[in-house]
Amino acid sequence: MDTIVKTSKLNNEEIFGLMKQFITEVIGEEFVEEMDITPQSSFTKDLEMDSIEIVSFSEKIKAHFGEQIDFTGWLSAMDLDQLINLNLEMIINYIQECQSSK
Amino acid sequence: MPVIKVNNRDVHIQELNKGAAETVLLVHGMFSNLSVYYFNIAPVLAAHFHVVMYDLKSHGMSERVLDGYDLNSMTDDLHALMDVLNLDKVHLAGYSFGGLIALKMAMRFPQRLRKLVIIEAPDPSDARTRGIIEEYSREFLEHYVANFTDTTKVKMGKRQMERNHRMYEYLFYQTSIKNDMILESGFFKETEINAVKKHTLLLYGASSNCLQAGKQLNKMIHKSDLIPLDGDHNIPIQEPVMIAEIVSGFFKN
Repeated sequence: MDTIVKTSKLNNEEIFGLMKQFITEVIGEEFVEEMDITPQSSFTKDLEMDSIEIVSFSEKIKAHFGEQIDFTGWLSAMDLDQLINLNLEMIINYIQECQSSK
Repeated sequence: MPVIKVNNRDVHIQELNKGAAETVLLVHGMFSNLSVYYFNIAPVLAAHFHVVMYDLKSHGMSERVLDGYDLNSMTDDLHALMDVLNLDKVHLAGYSFGGLIALKMAMRFPQRLRKLVIIEAPDPSDARTRGIIEEYSREFLEHYVANFTDTTKVKMGKRQMERNHRMYEYLFYQTSIKNDMILESGFFKETEINAVKKHTLLLYGASSNCLQAGKQLNKMIHKSDLIPLDGDHNIPIQEPVMIAEIVSGFFKN
Protein backbone atom coordinates (compact mmCIF):
# COMPACT_ATOMS: atom_id res chain seq x y z
CA MET A 1 0.00 0.00 0.00
CA ASP A 2 1.08 3.54 -0.68
CA THR A 3 1.56 5.70 2.34
CA ILE A 4 -0.33 8.94 2.58
CA VAL A 5 2.07 11.87 2.63
CA LYS A 6 0.92 14.33 5.21
CA THR A 7 3.86 16.45 6.21
CA SER A 8 6.28 16.97 3.34
CA LYS A 9 5.22 18.85 0.25
CA LEU A 10 6.54 17.42 -2.96
CA ASN A 11 8.22 19.54 -5.59
CA ASN A 12 7.42 19.25 -9.30
CA GLU A 13 10.19 16.80 -9.97
CA GLU A 14 9.13 14.53 -7.12
CA ILE A 15 5.51 14.56 -8.28
CA PHE A 16 6.66 13.81 -11.83
CA GLY A 17 8.73 10.87 -10.54
CA LEU A 18 5.72 9.56 -8.68
CA MET A 19 3.52 9.84 -11.79
CA LYS A 20 6.10 7.88 -13.81
CA GLN A 21 6.14 5.19 -11.13
CA PHE A 22 2.33 4.93 -11.19
CA ILE A 23 2.25 4.80 -15.00
CA THR A 24 4.86 2.04 -14.97
CA GLU A 25 2.81 0.07 -12.45
CA VAL A 26 -0.31 0.44 -14.60
CA ILE A 27 0.97 -0.29 -18.11
CA GLY A 28 4.08 -2.34 -17.35
CA GLU A 29 7.77 -1.68 -17.60
CA GLU A 30 8.22 -3.11 -21.10
CA PHE A 31 5.96 -0.43 -22.58
CA VAL A 32 7.36 2.41 -20.48
CA GLU A 33 10.90 1.59 -21.65
CA GLU A 34 9.90 2.32 -25.24
CA MET A 35 8.45 5.70 -24.34
CA ASP A 36 9.97 9.01 -23.48
CA ILE A 37 7.71 10.21 -20.69
CA THR A 38 7.84 13.97 -20.17
CA PRO A 39 5.56 16.38 -18.26
CA GLN A 40 3.99 17.17 -21.64
CA SER A 41 3.08 13.55 -22.37
CA SER A 42 -0.66 13.14 -22.74
CA PHE A 43 -2.27 10.04 -21.31
CA THR A 44 -4.39 9.10 -24.29
CA LYS A 45 -2.28 10.13 -27.27
CA ASP A 46 1.34 9.85 -26.14
CA LEU A 47 1.12 7.17 -23.49
CA GLU A 48 -1.72 5.36 -25.27
CA MET A 49 -3.46 4.63 -22.02
CA ASP A 50 -7.05 3.56 -22.32
CA SER A 51 -9.74 4.68 -19.93
CA ILE A 52 -9.62 1.67 -17.59
CA GLU A 53 -5.86 2.24 -17.22
CA ILE A 54 -6.49 5.90 -16.40
CA VAL A 55 -8.95 4.67 -13.75
CA SER A 56 -6.13 2.57 -12.20
CA PHE A 57 -3.77 5.52 -12.38
CA SER A 58 -6.35 7.81 -10.72
CA GLU A 59 -6.85 5.30 -7.92
CA LYS A 60 -3.11 5.31 -7.27
CA ILE A 61 -3.07 9.11 -7.07
CA LYS A 62 -6.03 9.03 -4.69
CA ALA A 63 -4.46 6.34 -2.51
CA HIS A 64 -1.21 8.29 -2.30
CA PHE A 65 -2.51 11.79 -1.62
CA GLY A 66 -5.65 10.81 0.26
CA GLU A 67 -7.82 13.72 1.26
CA GLN A 68 -5.23 16.31 0.33
CA ILE A 69 -6.71 16.37 -3.15
CA ASP A 70 -10.10 15.71 -4.75
CA PHE A 71 -8.79 14.03 -7.87
CA THR A 72 -12.07 12.46 -9.02
CA GLY A 73 -13.85 15.78 -8.52
CA TRP A 74 -11.17 17.58 -10.51
CA LEU A 75 -11.36 15.06 -13.37
CA SER A 76 -15.16 15.15 -13.43
CA ALA A 77 -15.12 18.84 -14.29
CA MET A 78 -13.39 17.99 -17.58
CA ASP A 79 -15.19 17.26 -20.80
CA LEU A 80 -14.09 14.54 -23.19
CA ASP A 81 -11.70 16.80 -25.15
CA GLN A 82 -10.00 17.91 -21.96
CA LEU A 83 -9.70 14.34 -20.73
CA ILE A 84 -8.17 13.26 -24.03
CA ASN A 85 -5.65 16.09 -23.85
CA LEU A 86 -4.87 15.59 -20.17
CA ASN A 87 -1.11 15.51 -19.61
CA LEU A 88 1.19 14.99 -16.65
CA GLU A 89 1.96 18.67 -16.23
CA MET A 90 -1.71 19.48 -15.62
CA ILE A 91 -1.84 16.94 -12.81
CA ILE A 92 1.45 18.17 -11.35
CA ASN A 93 0.09 21.73 -11.31
CA TYR A 94 -3.16 20.60 -9.76
CA ILE A 95 -1.37 18.70 -6.97
CA GLN A 96 0.90 21.73 -6.36
CA GLU A 97 -2.15 23.97 -6.06
CA CYS A 98 -3.74 21.66 -3.52
CA GLN A 99 -0.48 21.43 -1.54
CA SER A 100 0.01 25.18 -1.40
CA SER A 101 -3.57 25.86 -0.35
CA LYS A 102 -3.26 23.58 2.68
CA MET B 1 -7.42 -1.15 -6.73
CA PRO B 2 -10.52 -2.64 -5.15
CA VAL B 3 -10.89 -6.19 -6.39
CA ILE B 4 -13.32 -8.29 -4.37
CA LYS B 5 -14.27 -11.96 -4.45
CA VAL B 6 -17.80 -12.75 -5.63
CA ASN B 7 -18.61 -16.45 -5.93
CA ASN B 8 -14.88 -17.07 -5.73
CA ARG B 9 -14.08 -14.85 -8.72
CA ASP B 10 -12.25 -11.52 -8.82
CA VAL B 11 -14.51 -8.57 -9.52
CA HIS B 12 -13.15 -5.06 -9.94
CA ILE B 13 -15.36 -2.45 -8.29
CA GLN B 14 -15.19 1.28 -7.64
CA GLU B 15 -17.23 3.12 -5.04
CA LEU B 16 -17.83 6.79 -4.31
CA ASN B 17 -19.46 8.51 -1.33
CA LYS B 18 -19.82 5.37 0.77
CA GLY B 19 -21.67 7.08 3.61
CA ALA B 20 -24.75 8.12 1.62
CA ALA B 21 -28.19 6.76 2.51
CA GLU B 22 -29.13 5.35 -0.90
CA THR B 23 -27.01 3.46 -3.41
CA VAL B 24 -26.88 3.75 -7.18
CA LEU B 25 -25.44 0.74 -8.96
CA LEU B 26 -24.14 1.20 -12.51
CA VAL B 27 -23.78 -1.57 -15.11
CA HIS B 28 -21.63 -1.01 -18.21
CA GLY B 29 -22.06 -2.54 -21.66
CA MET B 30 -20.46 -5.34 -23.65
CA PHE B 31 -16.75 -4.87 -24.56
CA SER B 32 -16.66 -1.81 -22.31
CA ASN B 33 -15.84 -1.35 -18.61
CA LEU B 34 -16.69 0.80 -15.60
CA SER B 35 -14.65 3.72 -16.93
CA VAL B 36 -17.71 4.67 -19.01
CA TYR B 37 -19.12 5.98 -15.70
CA TYR B 38 -16.03 6.67 -13.61
CA PHE B 39 -14.90 10.04 -14.92
CA ASN B 40 -18.05 12.12 -15.36
CA ILE B 41 -21.26 10.29 -14.54
CA ALA B 42 -20.39 8.68 -11.20
CA PRO B 43 -19.02 11.89 -9.59
CA VAL B 44 -22.27 13.77 -10.38
CA LEU B 45 -24.37 10.95 -8.88
CA ALA B 46 -22.01 10.79 -5.89
CA ALA B 47 -23.05 14.29 -4.83
CA HIS B 48 -26.15 12.58 -3.36
CA PHE B 49 -25.74 8.84 -3.62
CA HIS B 50 -23.38 6.06 -2.71
CA VAL B 51 -22.24 4.97 -6.18
CA VAL B 52 -21.07 1.46 -7.03
CA MET B 53 -19.55 0.54 -10.39
CA TYR B 54 -18.22 -2.90 -11.33
CA ASP B 55 -16.54 -4.57 -14.30
CA LEU B 56 -18.53 -7.43 -15.81
CA LYS B 57 -16.75 -10.78 -16.06
CA SER B 58 -13.86 -10.79 -18.59
CA HIS B 59 -14.25 -7.02 -18.95
CA GLY B 60 -12.05 -4.24 -17.57
CA MET B 61 -10.09 -5.62 -14.65
CA SER B 62 -12.43 -8.39 -13.59
CA GLU B 63 -11.47 -12.04 -13.88
CA ARG B 64 -11.83 -13.85 -17.18
CA VAL B 65 -14.58 -16.43 -17.18
CA LEU B 66 -15.40 -18.90 -19.95
CA ASP B 67 -19.17 -19.06 -19.65
CA GLY B 68 -22.32 -17.58 -18.20
CA TYR B 69 -23.00 -14.53 -20.39
CA ASP B 70 -26.74 -15.09 -20.63
CA LEU B 71 -28.93 -12.64 -18.73
CA ASN B 72 -29.75 -15.15 -16.00
CA SER B 73 -26.09 -15.70 -15.18
CA MET B 74 -25.26 -12.00 -15.48
CA THR B 75 -28.05 -11.13 -13.02
CA ASP B 76 -26.97 -13.96 -10.69
CA ASP B 77 -23.54 -12.30 -10.68
CA LEU B 78 -24.99 -8.87 -9.88
CA HIS B 79 -27.27 -10.28 -7.20
CA ALA B 80 -24.28 -11.99 -5.57
CA LEU B 81 -22.25 -8.78 -5.79
CA MET B 82 -25.02 -6.91 -3.95
CA ASP B 83 -24.97 -9.54 -1.22
CA VAL B 84 -21.20 -9.32 -0.81
CA LEU B 85 -21.42 -5.51 -0.55
CA ASN B 86 -24.41 -5.73 1.83
CA LEU B 87 -26.60 -3.72 -0.50
CA ASP B 88 -30.16 -4.50 0.34
CA LYS B 89 -31.87 -2.20 -2.16
CA VAL B 90 -30.38 -0.06 -4.93
CA HIS B 91 -31.28 2.28 -7.72
CA LEU B 92 -30.05 0.49 -10.82
CA ALA B 93 -28.85 1.93 -14.13
CA GLY B 94 -27.43 0.01 -17.07
CA TYR B 95 -26.09 1.04 -20.45
CA SER B 96 -26.46 -1.03 -23.66
CA PHE B 97 -26.01 -4.74 -22.72
CA GLY B 98 -25.87 -3.47 -19.12
CA GLY B 99 -29.36 -2.05 -19.67
CA LEU B 100 -30.59 -5.56 -20.50
CA ILE B 101 -28.96 -6.84 -17.31
CA ALA B 102 -30.68 -4.05 -15.34
CA LEU B 103 -34.05 -4.92 -16.88
CA LYS B 104 -33.56 -8.62 -16.12
CA MET B 105 -32.79 -7.68 -12.49
CA ALA B 106 -36.15 -5.89 -12.30
CA MET B 107 -37.83 -9.03 -13.64
CA ARG B 108 -36.07 -11.44 -11.27
CA PHE B 109 -35.28 -9.49 -8.10
CA PRO B 110 -37.71 -6.54 -7.90
CA GLN B 111 -37.52 -6.53 -4.11
CA ARG B 112 -33.83 -5.56 -4.33
CA LEU B 113 -34.42 -2.52 -6.55
CA ARG B 114 -35.72 0.99 -6.04
CA LYS B 115 -35.89 2.65 -9.46
CA LEU B 116 -34.58 1.58 -12.83
CA VAL B 117 -32.77 3.45 -15.61
CA ILE B 118 -32.18 1.75 -18.94
CA ILE B 119 -29.82 3.56 -21.31
CA GLU B 120 -29.65 2.46 -24.94
CA ALA B 121 -30.44 -1.21 -24.33
CA PRO B 122 -30.71 -2.97 -27.72
CA ASP B 123 -33.28 -5.55 -28.74
CA PRO B 124 -31.20 -8.77 -28.82
CA SER B 125 -33.25 -10.05 -31.76
CA ASP B 126 -32.13 -7.09 -33.89
CA ALA B 127 -29.98 -8.38 -36.73
CA ARG B 128 -27.51 -5.52 -36.31
CA THR B 129 -26.89 -6.45 -32.69
CA ARG B 130 -26.34 -10.08 -33.61
CA GLY B 131 -24.34 -9.16 -36.69
CA ILE B 132 -21.67 -7.58 -34.55
CA ILE B 133 -21.28 -10.78 -32.61
CA GLU B 134 -21.29 -13.12 -35.58
CA GLU B 135 -18.97 -11.24 -37.86
CA TYR B 136 -16.23 -10.36 -35.50
CA SER B 137 -12.72 -10.30 -36.87
CA ARG B 138 -9.63 -8.20 -36.50
CA GLU B 139 -10.77 -6.25 -39.58
CA PHE B 140 -14.10 -5.70 -37.97
CA LEU B 141 -12.46 -4.16 -34.92
CA GLU B 142 -10.26 -1.90 -37.02
CA HIS B 143 -13.19 -0.86 -39.17
CA TYR B 144 -15.38 -0.38 -36.13
CA VAL B 145 -12.80 1.76 -34.38
CA ALA B 146 -12.13 3.81 -37.49
CA ASN B 147 -15.76 4.43 -38.35
CA PHE B 148 -17.91 4.29 -35.29
CA THR B 149 -15.89 5.42 -32.33
CA ASP B 150 -15.31 8.81 -33.96
CA THR B 151 -18.51 10.05 -32.37
CA THR B 152 -16.73 9.58 -29.06
CA LYS B 153 -13.60 11.32 -30.37
CA VAL B 154 -11.36 8.69 -28.83
CA LYS B 155 -8.83 7.15 -31.18
CA MET B 156 -7.08 3.99 -30.18
CA GLY B 157 -3.33 3.69 -30.30
CA LYS B 158 -1.50 0.51 -31.24
CA ARG B 159 -1.10 -0.88 -27.74
CA GLN B 160 -4.74 -0.10 -26.91
CA MET B 161 -5.81 -1.77 -30.14
CA GLU B 162 -3.83 -4.87 -29.18
CA ARG B 163 -5.33 -4.95 -25.71
CA ASN B 164 -8.85 -4.57 -27.06
CA HIS B 165 -8.21 -7.11 -29.78
CA ARG B 166 -7.05 -9.65 -27.20
CA MET B 167 -10.17 -9.04 -25.13
CA TYR B 168 -12.50 -9.33 -28.15
CA GLU B 169 -10.73 -12.47 -29.31
CA TYR B 170 -10.99 -14.05 -25.91
CA LEU B 171 -14.66 -13.17 -25.56
CA PHE B 172 -15.59 -14.22 -29.09
CA TYR B 173 -13.61 -17.39 -29.55
CA GLN B 174 -13.08 -18.80 -26.10
CA THR B 175 -16.12 -17.88 -24.09
CA SER B 176 -19.76 -18.78 -24.60
CA ILE B 177 -20.78 -15.12 -25.10
CA LYS B 178 -21.77 -15.59 -28.76
CA ASN B 179 -24.11 -18.50 -28.12
CA ASP B 180 -25.42 -17.01 -24.92
CA MET B 181 -26.41 -13.86 -26.79
CA ILE B 182 -28.06 -15.74 -29.63
CA LEU B 183 -30.11 -17.63 -27.05
CA GLU B 184 -31.36 -14.28 -25.74
CA SER B 185 -32.92 -13.24 -29.08
CA GLY B 186 -36.40 -13.77 -27.69
CA PHE B 187 -35.81 -11.60 -24.61
CA PHE B 188 -38.14 -8.75 -25.65
CA LYS B 189 -40.94 -11.30 -26.07
CA GLU B 190 -40.74 -12.49 -22.48
CA THR B 191 -44.00 -11.70 -20.74
CA GLU B 192 -42.22 -10.92 -17.47
CA ILE B 193 -41.19 -7.58 -19.01
CA ASN B 194 -44.86 -6.57 -18.99
CA ALA B 195 -44.98 -7.41 -15.30
CA VAL B 196 -42.17 -5.00 -14.34
CA LYS B 197 -43.69 -2.56 -11.85
CA LYS B 198 -40.62 -0.45 -11.18
CA HIS B 199 -40.65 3.18 -12.12
CA THR B 200 -38.38 3.07 -15.19
CA LEU B 201 -36.61 5.76 -17.15
CA LEU B 202 -35.56 4.89 -20.71
CA LEU B 203 -32.80 7.08 -22.15
CA TYR B 204 -32.06 6.68 -25.85
CA GLY B 205 -30.21 8.66 -28.49
CA ALA B 206 -32.66 10.26 -30.93
CA SER B 207 -30.46 9.14 -33.84
CA SER B 208 -29.53 5.76 -32.37
CA ASN B 209 -30.19 2.41 -34.05
CA CYS B 210 -31.54 1.29 -30.70
CA LEU B 211 -34.28 3.94 -30.37
CA GLN B 212 -36.85 1.47 -31.68
CA ALA B 213 -35.95 -0.88 -28.82
CA GLY B 214 -36.57 1.98 -26.40
CA LYS B 215 -40.02 2.57 -27.89
CA GLN B 216 -40.81 -1.12 -27.56
CA LEU B 217 -39.78 -1.17 -23.89
CA ASN B 218 -41.79 2.00 -23.28
CA LYS B 219 -44.91 0.19 -24.46
CA MET B 220 -44.17 -2.92 -22.42
CA ILE B 221 -43.08 -1.44 -19.10
CA HIS B 222 -46.11 -0.02 -17.39
CA LYS B 223 -44.52 2.83 -15.42
CA SER B 224 -41.89 3.92 -17.91
CA ASP B 225 -40.90 7.20 -19.52
CA LEU B 226 -38.85 7.38 -22.69
CA ILE B 227 -36.62 10.41 -23.21
CA PRO B 228 -34.92 10.61 -26.61
CA LEU B 229 -31.75 12.67 -26.26
CA ASP B 230 -29.66 14.44 -28.84
CA GLY B 231 -27.09 11.81 -29.82
CA ASP B 232 -26.59 8.20 -30.91
CA HIS B 233 -25.76 4.95 -29.13
CA ASN B 234 -22.75 6.62 -27.52
CA ILE B 235 -24.75 9.23 -25.57
CA PRO B 236 -23.20 8.43 -22.16
CA ILE B 237 -19.80 9.26 -23.67
CA GLN B 238 -21.05 12.18 -25.75
CA GLU B 239 -23.20 13.80 -23.04
CA PRO B 240 -22.09 12.34 -19.71
CA VAL B 241 -23.05 15.30 -17.52
CA MET B 242 -26.49 15.62 -19.07
CA ILE B 243 -27.11 11.88 -18.60
CA ALA B 244 -25.83 12.03 -15.02
CA GLU B 245 -28.08 14.96 -14.13
CA ILE B 246 -31.17 13.36 -15.63
CA VAL B 247 -30.46 10.05 -13.87
CA SER B 248 -29.70 11.78 -10.59
CA GLY B 249 -32.93 13.83 -10.77
CA PHE B 250 -34.96 10.73 -11.54
CA PHE B 251 -33.52 8.75 -8.62
CA LYS B 252 -33.93 11.68 -6.22
CA ASN B 253 -37.65 12.23 -6.80
